[in-house]
Amino acid sequence: MKRRGRGIACMWYPIGFTASANPSAAVVKVNEDGTATLLTGTVETGQGSLTVLAQIAAQALGIATDDVHVVSADTDTTPMDTGAIASRTTYVTGNAVMLAAENAKKILFEVAAPLLGVEPAHLEAKDHKIQVKGFPQRNMHIGDVAEHARGVKGTPPIGSATFNPAVLKLDPETGQGKPFATYVYATQIAEVDVDDETGEVEVLRIVASHDCGAPINPMLVEGQVEGGISMGVGFALQEEMLFDSSGRLINPNLTNYIMPTSLDMPSVEVDIVDSYDETGPFGAKGVGEPTCVSTAAAILNAIHNAVGVRVTSLPATAEKVFAAIQAKRAQEAKLVTAG
Amino acid sequence: MEKKTVVAEKSAPAQALLESVELELLRAPALAPLSPLPLEVLVPEARQQTPAVGQRATRPDGRLHGLGQTKFIDDFYLPGMLFAKIKRAGVASARIVSIDTKEAEAMPGVVAVLTGAEIPCNSFGPSLKDQPVLADTRVFHAGDGVAAVAAVTEQIAAEAIEKIKVEYEMLTPVLDPLESLKLETPGLHAPNPNIYGHKVIKKGDIAKGFAESDHIFERTFRTQMVEHVPLEPHASVATWDANGRVTIYSTLGRITLGRSDVARTLGIPMSRVRMISTIVGGNFGGKNEITTEPVVALLSKKTGRPVKCLFTRPDEFISSTTRHPLIMDYKTGVSKEGKILARQIRLVLDGGAYCSWSETTLGKACILSAGPYNIENLYAEAFVVYTNKTMTGAMRGFGAPQVCFAYESQMDDIATALKIDPMEIRLLNAFTNGSLSPTGQTLHSVVVKETLIQAAQRFGWNGAPS
Repeated sequence: MKRRGRGIACMWYPIGFTASANPSAAVVKVNEDGTATLLTGTVETGQGSLTVLAQIAAQALGIATDDVHVVSADTDTTPMDTGAIASRTTYVTGNAVMLAAENAKKILFEVAAPLLGVEPAHLEAKDHKIQVKGFPQRNMHIGDVAEHARGVKGTPPIGSATFNPAVLKLDPETGQGKPFATYVYATQIAEVDVDDETGEVEVLRIVASHDCGAPINPMLVEGQVEGGISMGVGFALQEEMLFDSSGRLINPNLTNYIMPTSLDMPSVEVDIVDSYDETGPFGAKGVGEPTCVSTAAAILNAIHNAVGVRVTSLPATAEKVFAAIQAKRAQEAKLVTAG
Repeated sequence: MEKKTVVAEKSAPAQALLESVELELLRAPALAPLSPLPLEVLVPEARQQTPAVGQRATRPDGRLHGLGQTKFIDDFYLPGMLFAKIKRAGVASARIVSIDTKEAEAMPGVVAVLTGAEIPCNSFGPSLKDQPVLADTRVFHAGDGVAAVAAVTEQIAAEAIEKIKVEYEMLTPVLDPLESLKLETPGLHAPNPNIYGHKVIKKGDIAKGFAESDHIFERTFRTQMVEHVPLEPHASVATWDANGRVTIYSTLGRITLGRSDVARTLGIPMSRVRMISTIVGGNFGGKNEITTEPVVALLSKKTGRPVKCLFTRPDEFISSTTRHPLIMDYKTGVSKEGKILARQIRLVLDGGAYCSWSETTLGKACILSAGPYNIENLYAEAFVVYTNKTMTGAMRGFGAPQVCFAYESQMDDIATALKIDPMEIRLLNAFTNGSLSPTGQTLHSVVVKETLIQAAQRFGWNGAPS
């Protein structure tokens, strides 16, 4: 019969490695109409990073996401970037983009200050305007300032910047030191049904509460969590590359290497926990990798809760779970006989 | 004249179709919808809002994906382009005695063949340069490339690699990481030892911690090798100009490193390499290093024509990086209240045939292995060893999902034995702001407990703190 169980797993994950250099550079150009172009050497690999970077540039300039066009991933036209790895894009490249946009904004402020009759330090960029702090009615449209900067002053508003979390070497003997700039945390809770006659596990529901710092784009965070969970379900229950005794892979295809499909996906509920990291761009940390970290652990704990067996190797295939249930029954029968 | 004859031979319905539809439309790739561009679009409101941060802004590439307009590498076609295929060794450990490419070269439609001996600098790797672009003297795993062919069609290239004859002197493969860990096991990459990475994290005094513990829990956990399985396989297209400059369109996720590796393996200045990544169809850490790029670049140089190579799904499994399998020994001492007093961990990572991103994986796995918990007495040691299997490398989490499986399984073992609620034992041990990490780093913006409580409330965990 089917037995229901639930399991918790927590995790922590580092953002912004510091054991070796980890730089990103960015260039932000404000156009004469107040829109902008962002140049970045990172690569969009499906996670939505270019949208997040556009949002960061837009936020720094006080314009909207749609006003920023992103040019990416071309070694001839875009600045260097350590790349779409290690959940670093929002944090490291995001910081570089924010600083580049700040540098472009500094030029806008210098141009606007005499026109608005204040010092540059008294200005802010908000809602497509350069305005005096505390006196928003004293403002100029960002496009008018950019046009004035280019056409009258001859100082086109272009900013560039690099960001690198400070490189710190660890003690080689004890490993002590600061290997990462910051960390994110998460908890996932899984609910499963385990068929104790076949060992088959069905994941019914996963509740995921994740920290990513302040989310730049909550929808993309939710998407990452859902995708990470599907990867975690495969890691927990199905996926395994198998080698024969001569070292050849015996299942190099999707017929025999079984991945979760939409039918294997549990219902997923995502919460983003309140968090703000002062070292990240607008409080953000990162989210890409951490999403798949605790899923398998939560599912395996739920199996343990359902049928009382501890499967110690992944994946927890039906065969493995069933063998563990049988071993437990044999053990219990022995105890009864002995007793 | 010939074309007219062909049309005249068509059946009446086909003829009618040809007359009724513009030929250009029939030749066009199947893209929907056939409407004038740019499409008149409603920009979703979130993209037009200020402040921009915090908005649920849609992705501009989403529309292109939905309409089938995204140009993945497989959609690229350059005039005169050839297709490359890479022949795989198919044996896990061997010396290459000879490679005979004559029969393949003689096939109609085959334009060029490439072997490892022709590669100007036949080694690469992010920390250890232990991986060849194409194996020329030694095979370290069955997925090693041993030769490549460029032909006018993908089918001819696939047939041609079957005609390449490689003579091997077979060697006994080392497949078990624990076997590889033994000092008496001969080094795969001699004179280098099989243990090619080692890390220790030491904090407090574990002997003292275990002595003070009321209960000690010990278990070994293991995880398997898995693939990233991106929807879009590894692919690239290379084309040279007459000034000796190569442009490579690639699925790489890190082009700065990619350009430098291509320049190095080709033996040309970086200024002569342009690397462009398209919108990549999935990465998950598997597209961090060069694979097909130097091969297509050299075949393109040899033939004077653009060359494309696209991994098949089997290529993806046997020759691209995978997730490290781990063998994890955990010993944890706790007080009767469930407070962790000491933890000793040994991790053995199966590194496969080449180093790749093992150094990073080793480091993260070791640092994270204690879990997000305050543990004063800790000793974690990790090793990564070579085996004659598909190389392991960067994959979403760099060792974290593996160690999380171990430390969270043991956490529930402890909770069960001590009859403590799994939620409570975690809240008792979890990091808080100002906690010291296993490496002695003072942690800030820590919200482990907040995630636990929020998840428990959402789930409806009995006795969840309100």
